[in-house]
Amino acid sequence: MAARTPREHDVALAQRAGGGDRAAQKELFHAQKQGVHHALFRVLGSNRELEDLLQDSFVAIFRALPSFRGESTLARWCQTIAMRTAFATIAKRRPALLELVEEQVADATPDVQRTMRAKDAVRRLYGALDKIEAKQRIAYALFAIDGRTLAEVAELTDSTVLAVKTRVWRARRELMRRARKDEVLAEYLTELGGDS
Amino acid sequence: MSHTERPPVEPLSDVAWSRVERGVWSRLDEGEDTARIRHATPRRWWLVATPFVAAAAAALLFLFLHSPSAPRTTLADAGPTRIVSEASPSSVSLGDAHIALDPHSAIVMSSHDTAPNVIVEQGAAWFSVEPRGSRPPFVVLAGDTRVRVIGTRFKVARSAERVQVTVDHGIVEIGYHGDVTRVTNGQVWSSDAPSSVIGMATPEVVTPEIEMPEMPATPQPLPTPKLASRPAQTQTATAAANDSDDRDALKYAELARLEASSPDAAMAGYLALAKGSGRWAPVALYAAGRLAADRHETRAATFLDIYLRRFPHGANADDARQLLGRLKGTP
Repeated sequence: MAARTPREHDVALAQRAGGGDRAAQKELFHAQKQGVHHALFRVLGSNRELEDLLQDSFVAIFRALPSFRGESTLARWCQTIAMRTAFATIAKRRPALLELVEEQVADATPDVQRTMRAKDAVRRLYGALDKIEAKQRIAYALFAIDGRTLAEVAELTDSTVLAVKTRVWRARRELMRRARKDEVLAEYLTELGGDS
Repeated sequence: MSHTERPPVEPLSDVAWSRVERGVWSRLDEGEDTARIRHATPRRWWLVATPFVAAAAAALLFLFLHSPSAPRTTLADAGPTRIVSEASPSSVSLGDAHIALDPHSAIVMSSHDTAPNVIVEQGAAWFSVEPRGSRPPFVVLAGDTRVRVIGTRFKVARSAERVQVTVDHGIVEIGYHGDVTRVTNGQVWSSDAPSSVIGMATPEVVTPEIEMPEMPATPQPLPTPKLASRPAQTQTATAAANDSDDRDALKYAELARLEASSPDAAMAGYLALAKGSGRWAPVALYAAGRLAADRHETRAATFLDIYLRRFPHGANADDARQLLGRLKGTP
């Protein structure tokens, strides 16, 4: 028997999983969980609240499996559904009001201090992203933070390349506006780039 | 400052993935309408009552809810905030509560109504709390363990479903599976032996010499243990413990502490302790199985099988069965 192509494997697995085969569902879950987690983490910036979102995403994925035809890879298709779920969640949620300050330990090495400064910059970035429109946030996170191409982001977000480019540009403009009074964030945005 | 690298994607713990996976299968089995359910009853993952999420821990933080310097609305309205330490320790101050995280630890702080929560997800953290006075008590929940404190310094350490509480000074009340245990200055409590409290003359120094034997490929046959009857409450348990039990308890506490830094040594010590005939032998055998499971060692199932054969009604029998079932893929 001739070996199946990855696409054929994807379609067959999706059909079995979509038909309720628990073994196939588990195979799909374990094959896709890291990719879905990676994409969602980039959009949210931490694992906080991510367990619920992962659950919602995979439930949505399993429910949508009968519609999978193999036009894209199963990984890309799963992440697309995860992005839809993320958008629905982010668009509704209220940003956290509590600002926490992590203290630096007195005997921290220069490497540790550098890491903590970088983490602080990332925290500020996601704090600013919390305040911008959900579609812009997702586009910016996937393009500027995760380094995906505009075409890939467009596919993941059911959008056109032009729409994604516009969202990234608007997100960056809004972030830069918010960074006027935040040198750390401004410096980080500059290093991160994101010019589309 | 240089940020040339992309920020890392923090991996989700195995326990968290287990929660996610179980939740997905559960919801698929129930045929749940995802959107409708979510809108009707927003979930918080740490409140989901599954055996794994029992691993959550909550703490009523903060005096300053009633403090004029910290507006009540700020914390009460706050969403959960996760603090993670990496290779170095980290600390957080909120009001007059101070939390120092060990390396590779994670806590989640949030609030429900007027009672803020601290969840110990993994690792260990020292909590320093000023006397609460008339304010709500400070409560830490870790798995099935609830630690309630009026004002003290104490540490909550967690490895998977296992929890250990060390009190530096003050008094805390630990609730676990319906039993309440009081732990005072310099005492250690462990969920592996929830009815006992280990007393220590010097709380910071728990380093008895432990002979680390060669690690056997499989555990040696164990003498039939004499399981101590379960004491009504902790203080009586401490009083009833004989010298041998005290020594074993100290050994066990040290081994538990060693797990994070020297798991091989901890494993060898557990196996050595398990060869004894004291009350801590079965506890150590279960701990060996749990640690092996945490480290994805195949012998974990062997240890747990032996534990259940020898101590089918032991204090950790239910946990051993659950863990063994998980290792064998039994739902």
